[in-house]
Amino acid sequence: MSSKTTGDILGEISKSISNLEPLDQVTKLVKKALKEHSVTEIIDGALKKGLDEVGNRYEKGEYFLSELLYAGEIMTNISNVLKPHMKQTDVGQREVILLGTVRGDMHDIGKNIFGMIAQFSGFKVQDLGVDVDPKTFIDETKKCGADIVGMSTLLTSTLPEVKTVIDGLKEVGVRDRVKVIIGGNAVTKQFAEEVGADAAALDAVEGVDICKRWRAK
Amino acid sequence: MTPRERMNAVLNFRKPDSLPWLESLYDETTMTWFRQGLPTDKVIVIEWEMGRGGTNLYNWPAVKGFDAYSYFGCQSFYGCVVPVDVGPLPRFKQRVLEEDERYLTMMTETGATARRIKSEERTWYSMPMFTEFPVKDEKSWEIYKKRLDPKDPRRYPKDWNKDDYIKIFEGYQRGITMLRFNGFYGFGAELMGIAPFNIMLHKDPELIHDMAEHWEYYLRETLREAIEILKDRIDMVFWWEDMAEKHGPLMSPKSFREYCLPHYKNLTNFLRKNKIDRIMVDSDGNVNPMIDLFVESGITGMWPLEVNCNMNAIEIKKKYGNKLFLIGNLDKRELAKGGEAMRKEVDAKVPILKEMGGYIPSADHLIPVEFSLERFREYADYIKGLLPYK
Repeated sequence: MSSKTTGDILGEISKSISNLEPLDQVTKLVKKALKEHSVTEIIDGALKKGLDEVGNRYEKGEYFLSELLYAGEIMTNISNVLKPHMKQTDVGQREVILLGTVRGDMHDIGKNIFGMIAQFSGFKVQDLGVDVDPKTFIDETKKCGADIVGMSTLLTSTLPEVKTVIDGLKEVGVRDRVKVIIGGNAVTKQFAEEVGADAAALDAVEGVDICKRWRAK
Repeated sequence: MTPRERMNAVLNFRKPDSLPWLESLYDETTMTWFRQGLPTDKVIVIEWEMGRGGTNLYNWPAVKGFDAYSYFGCQSFYGCVVPVDVGPLPRFKQRVLEEDERYLTMMTETGATARRIKSEERTWYSMPMFTEFPVKDEKSWEIYKKRLDPKDPRRYPKDWNKDDYIKIFEGYQRGITMLRFNGFYGFGAELMGIAPFNIMLHKDPELIHDMAEHWEYYLRETLREAIEILKDRIDMVFWWEDMAEKHGPLMSPKSFREYCLPHYKNLTNFLRKNKIDRIMVDSDGNVNPMIDLFVESGITGMWPLEVNCNMNAIEIKKKYGNKLFLIGNLDKRELAKGGEAMRKEVDAKVPILKEMGGYIPSADHLIPVEFSLERFREYADYIKGLLPYK
């Protein structure tokens, strides 16, 4: 696996993801790589690096949401190529992020991008969708053994829902074993502190970075 | 000065006798205020209207509706608007597709499928979730395009008459006269959905170019007659985009330059030839990386300049001076707190921007339902005291 050609193909895939090349071109490279590499090697050596670089360029202001969305499209296409070759060991033990937009709010673009990046950063993402009832957040946290609960709200009118969920997690005794991260247009770091969330993310990339830092500890 | 003269003075960087003040209210906010004591009888405007949409022949005064704007003494973006239909024709038949206790799923007039919460407090404010859009690819675009035919005679009102409409547009004084349409980003995102449209910018550039080219041709040719007749009797163009979120624009400046800029320029040049040069982009979110491009493309104004998205009217004014008129930028969250927080927000901006010129005070988006009637009254009283030039 240490030959120059082998290293190059993973590098090429990573570069083609970060440069947002056409879908067929990227998937062609992945198919080629599958002849020499395991799925784990492709994920760790190419996909994560490529997506990290997309995130870096977004943070630097070179890429915008449109580029993040297209990167998501590339990753979905690659996933479809990799799936038939995937073994349980390729997936491993992953931290679970339970995700949803709070009750009364139907916005989902930011949440979906966060979910996509988190998934390709090695998290298992369980997305509850939009307009999620506090009880559903609480019940599902217990049921799926979530490590992180992510709540999104774009509207100021639905901000109180965040506190309702956090209070509910306390009531059922699971708040101490989960991290709570919130995001969306209406959310501020100050609000996160006020309601007792562990973090507020200003955008999807920052949100996943925070989750990665929690995982590393 | 009349309200229209005041607005036009500011939009053209002249000094009025008193600054106008402009707001936009969600219907849900007005409804909430009625429950909080807004006097219904004082907000109803009765105007002599003929015809009632052509459905009958009565010549009775008609209740025009609620006009909270004149009750509070502020301007709105709704008033005398060029009455040309730029929507798809024929319209899609608006109908309920599915309904349960909490949601209503419906086909919209523009052919999208929208799911929304049924409760009356959330009719529009919380926005529906769009689950399907009419344009998905080249094939569906070619089909949709047929509904965007500028030559369709139904686009102009049945009573369209050059002299009568000139008279209406000249005589209107309650506010400014306006031409409204979707911009090139807004148009694409409405037809394809925000996420699919943004993906398509990279996936199928030819399709995006074709859509933008057609939209430019369609707008110019559909509106040509009205624009050439009404000319500078149209005070302002309201160019809807909503192209940004909190972090920044959804579309990159590079993509804007490639897909939008040429069409912006062609359209603003056409408007300018007809002496219409007050052209305002309406975009929520952080559009700071786009301002240079807006100016280059012939845009001359911006609204609403959301504070929580890092928009700063004073900084923009310092940098762009009289290249841009600005409306908004008063942090709605601070205004809604009332008292000292409200006064601090207003005092930090309005007196400075008033002196800089080309600025109309307004909250940095529509007034949300959390803004109580009592606090809005307090804000209205306070801001009105700062408007006159002494």
